[in-house]
Amino acid sequence: MIVCVAVVGHQSFTEADDALKLHHIVHCSLDVVDERVNNPKKSGPTLNETFLGLLYPTENYKVYGYLTNTKVKFILVTTDLDVRDVDVRNFFRRFHAAYVDAVSNPFHVPGKKITSRTFAERVSNIVKSFGLSST
Amino acid sequence: MEPDVSIETSCMIRIAVLPVGTVPASVLRDYFSMFLRHHTIPLAAISSFYTEHQKSPFAQQPWDAGSIRFKFLLGGAPPSPWEDFQSNRKILAVIGICHCPSTPDLDSAVEQFAAACKSYSSALVQRCFAFCPCDSQLEDGGKKEDVLRLFPPADHQTLDIHLQTMMQEIAASLLMDFEKWVLKAESAGTILKTPLDSQASLSSEEVLKAKKRRLGRAQKTIGDYCLLAGSPVDASAHYTTALELARLTGDFFWFAGALEGSVCALLMDRVSHIDAVLEDEVKYQYNNVILHYRKSFIQDNAQRVSPLSFELEATLKLARFLCSSYLCRRNLSKEVVELLTSAADGGKSLIDVNDRLVLFVEIARLFGTIGYQRKAAFFSRQVAQLYLQQDNKFAATSAMQVLAMTTKAYRVQSKASMPDPPHTKKQTGPSHTDSGKMHHHLVVSLFESQWSTLQMVVLREILLSAVRAGDPLAAWSAAARLLRQYYPLITPPGQNGLASALNNSAERLPSGTRSADPALPFVRLHSFPLHPSQMDIIKRSPTKEDWWAGSAPSGPFIYTPFSKGEPNDTSKQELVWIVGEPVQVLVELANPCGFDLRVDSIYLTVHSGSFDAFPISVDLPPNSSKVITLSGIPTSVGPITIPGCTVHCFGVITEHHFKDVDNLLLGAAQGLVLSDPFRCCGSAKLRNISVPSISVVPPLPLLVSHVLGGDGAIMLYEGEIRDIWVSLSNAGTAPVEQAHISLSGKNQDSIISIPYETLKSVLPLKPGAEVILPLTLKAWQLGPMDFEIGGGRAAASGSTGRQFKDASVPTLLIHYAGPSTDSGDVTSATGSTLPPGRRLVLPLQVCVLPGMSLIKARLLSMEIPAHIGKAHPKPMHEDDPTTETVEESERKMEKRLVKIDPYRGSWGLRFLELELSNPTDVVFEIGVSVQLDGTDDNNLSTNQDGSTEYGYPKTRIDRDYSARVLVPLEHFKLPVLDDSFFMRDFCNEGSTSSSRSSSFSEKNTKAELNASIKSLISRIKVRWQSGRNSSGELNIKDAVHTALQTSVMDVLLPDPLTFGFRLTRDNSSPQQGSDSKDSVLANDMTPMEVLVRNNTKEMIKMSLGISCRDVAGENCIEGEKSTVLWAGVLNGITMEVPPLQESKHTFSLYFLVPGEYTLVAAAVIEDANDVLRARAKTDSPDEPIYCRGPPFHVRVLGTA
Repeated sequence: MIVCVAVVGHQSFTEADDALKLHHIVHCSLDVVDERVNNPKKSGPTLNETFLGLLYPTENYKVYGYLTNTKVKFILVTTDLDVRDVDVRNFFRRFHAAYVDAVSNPFHVPGKKITSRTFAERVSNIVKSFGLSST
Repeated sequence: MEPDVSIETSCMIRIAVLPVGTVPASVLRDYFSMFLRHHTIPLAAISSFYTEHQKSPFAQQPWDAGSIRFKFLLGGAPPSPWEDFQSNRKILAVIGICHCPSTPDLDSAVEQFAAACKSYSSALVQRCFAFCPCDSQLEDGGKKEDVLRLFPPADHQTLDIHLQTMMQEIAASLLMDFEKWVLKAESAGTILKTPLDSQASLSSEEVLKAKKRRLGRAQKTIGDYCLLAGSPVDASAHYTTALELARLTGDFFWFAGALEGSVCALLMDRVSHIDAVLEDEVKYQYNNVILHYRKSFIQDNAQRVSPLSFELEATLKLARFLCSSYLCRRNLSKEVVELLTSAADGGKSLIDVNDRLVLFVEIARLFGTIGYQRKAAFFSRQVAQLYLQQDNKFAATSAMQVLAMTTKAYRVQSKASMPDPPHTKKQTGPSHTDSGKMHHHLVVSLFESQWSTLQMVVLREILLSAVRAGDPLAAWSAAARLLRQYYPLITPPGQNGLASALNNSAERLPSGTRSADPALPFVRLHSFPLHPSQMDIIKRSPTKEDWWAGSAPSGPFIYTPFSKGEPNDTSKQELVWIVGEPVQVLVELANPCGFDLRVDSIYLTVHSGSFDAFPISVDLPPNSSKVITLSGIPTSVGPITIPGCTVHCFGVITEHHFKDVDNLLLGAAQGLVLSDPFRCCGSAKLRNISVPSISVVPPLPLLVSHVLGGDGAIMLYEGEIRDIWVSLSNAGTAPVEQAHISLSGKNQDSIISIPYETLKSVLPLKPGAEVILPLTLKAWQLGPMDFEIGGGRAAASGSTGRQFKDASVPTLLIHYAGPSTDSGDVTSATGSTLPPGRRLVLPLQVCVLPGMSLIKARLLSMEIPAHIGKAHPKPMHEDDPTTETVEESERKMEKRLVKIDPYRGSWGLRFLELELSNPTDVVFEIGVSVQLDGTDDNNLSTNQDGSTEYGYPKTRIDRDYSARVLVPLEHFKLPVLDDSFFMRDFCNEGSTSSSRSSSFSEKNTKAELNASIKSLISRIKVRWQSGRNSSGELNIKDAVHTALQTSVMDVLLPDPLTFGFRLTRDNSSPQQGSDSKDSVLANDMTPMEVLVRNNTKEMIKMSLGISCRDVAGENCIEGEKSTVLWAGVLNGITMEVPPLQESKHTFSLYFLVPGEYTLVAAAVIEDANDVLRARAKTDSPDEPIYCRGPPFHVRVLGTA
């Protein structure tokens, strides 16, 4: 089950499930993202790859990352220990679309917390469907 | 678990370093740092101390390249239960440090050291070093050569060399002891146990297996000693044997230990060239080590003791090894992370809290090493939490320190721990330009809103641990950061709690403590008020004498968009401050929290020290902002920058930088920051303040002005004239050497006299000197707009209609300057430029009240028929009832009254009637005076007395009343009708009489007319007086002008002919009363004469006729029922009157019926000239000119 989805943009942060621990996990995961961004592998296919894959497994969670072209990071924290990469990839793609729609709202101030209710609904739908398709 | 473990730990000899006697902490630290430098002793260096007693067991010892390593433990350590398992855990040597100056008695020191050594049973070498002994101690200590090593007093470097020798000696002794031990162990064999081995399991072993196991363990231990002795090849050999035996006996724990040792030996052997192959080997071996430690886990004694800590240590060792090579090969981080993550997971099952603490510390350090700052921070926080679980002060201090290290990763660090960013240093210089550009990075780092949850947690923990650790300053700082940055997320009770935390911390701090982290309030720059107009500074150029000329605001505008726009276009605004003169800066404070904030003092911060700031205290209610004025006095010449304010609030002094708040506000504008503290306090958004570059100049003179008799507005009624005195005093410290007065603003002409000379005469005006300038002021006329406003206000307020408008008052500009050459105290700082001059703007606060107002002026003519008497009709000094024209006639003033000759009448007498109203609440007295010009005074027929000015009795007009004042226009008549008045017209008309120039002449006539009206009006002055000391003049010009427009000729010009009648009877019957003196009796022949005067300068020929009418207006001479008989000629009398002469014609009348009769003389002028025509306003030359005299009354009395 996905316990946390976070958008870490330049500044923004939205989470689906609130807990200080998850804050910490997401916060720490940025170390890995930073490292991947700063030391890109030279190989071709990963050059434009947005999906960062499994960032790190921690305690009971697995943390996946996704980085958009505008350096907005999506972090997924899941308790499912048996996750297929395809599912995560799929999830991120759909989530990315939802995010793009949300920030395209002219009333959204870039960099600010996303307050759209529609976005929240969409995210929870995506989260639910992730659970369904994977199991 | 032990801190700071690495693979190499296995080859380090532990030496306890103990203070002996009294050693001050700083000295101890100093000595210990000297030891640390000698952690590695090359084998080659110890050969001189080494003697081979028997064949060394370390056959492969690399004497040329190898080395012995030390690990110094300050204060020592308790013996570990695992000493047998890993020999490097043993304390193999003890070194005492004795600081002789603080430990005079060396004997007791030796005893103390011996006692301390007893707890280190494993120590093979014991030495006590005594530093800095005095001479007596040197002598004394020489006897105890064996235990006490005295270091002669020397400089640091020499001491270091001594110490090095000592350490080499220790290394040699240790090496020899190791040899001994190994030889003994090989021959005898020792029982080696670990806490892991239970008695039962050992005893149940088969004998053979137990023996093999014992052998294996001995081999492993020998290997350990080989490693410590710096002989990895020997160690390797022993470890190989040990590994074999351990595998055979299933002694996994010792197997892992031996494996660890062998890896260490491998590394030691090839320390100089580590390559990828070696790395892989080490990695493989160590994973093996970890695996075997895990295998050695025995369920039944897991509660008591567990090899878990060894497994974790091994994990950390591998991670650290990978880290060190990570620095060269960057792709190992994933493995490190995996190792550390598994270590962290494993840490959960650690029993000992201290073990877990050490583990987390190590994990945090390793994460930090590979650049995972956030992870490092996370584990640091775990460490801090473990510390906090221990309930003692030292643990709390440790927790606080650990948390302080995490603040950088969470970006909540204290400013004290932040290195000065380079740009702030740069900005202290004159380049202030980039302060406008905000550093985005700085904004984010200071106020990163997205992790506020984490940041608040960290700060709260720091606060908690600081309180517990009893560090009030750290607590204050944490609470300040928490409150300042996260107030929007903290509930009002929480904010109150933080405020009381701040106050509690401050109570325990000495007063005057400074903190690097500002708390509340938020302070931003509001504005730099320019100099008040009293103190304007004007640049002076040496070439221009009248330097003030261009500087005065041109025109009526106080603000000119052009002059104002310039400084914005050019880069910077400049502000000039003057040494010794107070300046002001406006700042805005905001308290966005829910409690009352008291700022004990706030003042401007100037780092250069050339500024005396005046602190003030402020109270800020909850959720409020306030603009306050901060002032100070510059004390020295040069540029000055004001980076912020120093605030004393919550008991601690902090510095608030304007730049930080600017960044914060910028962040708020971009949505990066939680909230704009000023906006949430309801303060308006402020435009971006450009900080002007401020320069301080040497003292200048300073004129201070005040109006004598009060600085309040001078209340004047319209037209009032008053003298005022302006006092100027030099309040500066330099003399005024130049001064110039000019006027500006509206109504400049209301200042009638300006004392230029008075001012000039007092220069130079010394400091403290004063000059009084008299000015004469005449209140200007209120415009219709002013009047309306004034009137409306007066009506509304019902009071004095106090109308005060700055815009309409005239302004006195006084430009002044000090000495143009400095007296020498200022050197090249100002260079060749002149010190600037100053401008004093002194608006004359005049409040003009609507005074007496002229409602309307009109021309009245009054016709009173004359009486015929014996007297010649010429103006005489006689009373006349017509004095009623002037109210309240008084006998005394009769000379001033208008007098009308009863024998001449007042035919054609004209009055100017002025209708005046007094809307004010005071009484006005109106006095009219007429001035006569003395140009024509050779014929003074109308100038009855020689004075050129007539006064008329005063008219009093009460408040809210209106009155009419009549001004007789009699005296303006010219005595002679000649062509001078029309001269110009007639020149034109007479010469051409064509229509060509008629329009021109018409225009001329009009101009002439206006001129004459003007001169006429200017001679009539209506003065008023109210109360004792206000007086003025009424402006009646316009009104009179319109009134006179049409009939000015009649007023000014005399008729060409004047007529008069006179009784010529000499034998007048005895009369009774003045009234009957000139009366005429009925039925009596009355001789009369008609007098005709020619007022022109030409002979006039005319045909005169006389008519007589009765009361009903019937002609009573002619007709059927004529009641008057006559003798002499009454009609068609032809007369010629010479110029300016009189002619008379005599006749007699016989009245049949008593009553009133009127005699009128009329004449038709023959051969009239142009002058007459013009006077008669006839155009055609053929028209006869008819002159008609005024009517004369004759009262005919009955004879009864």
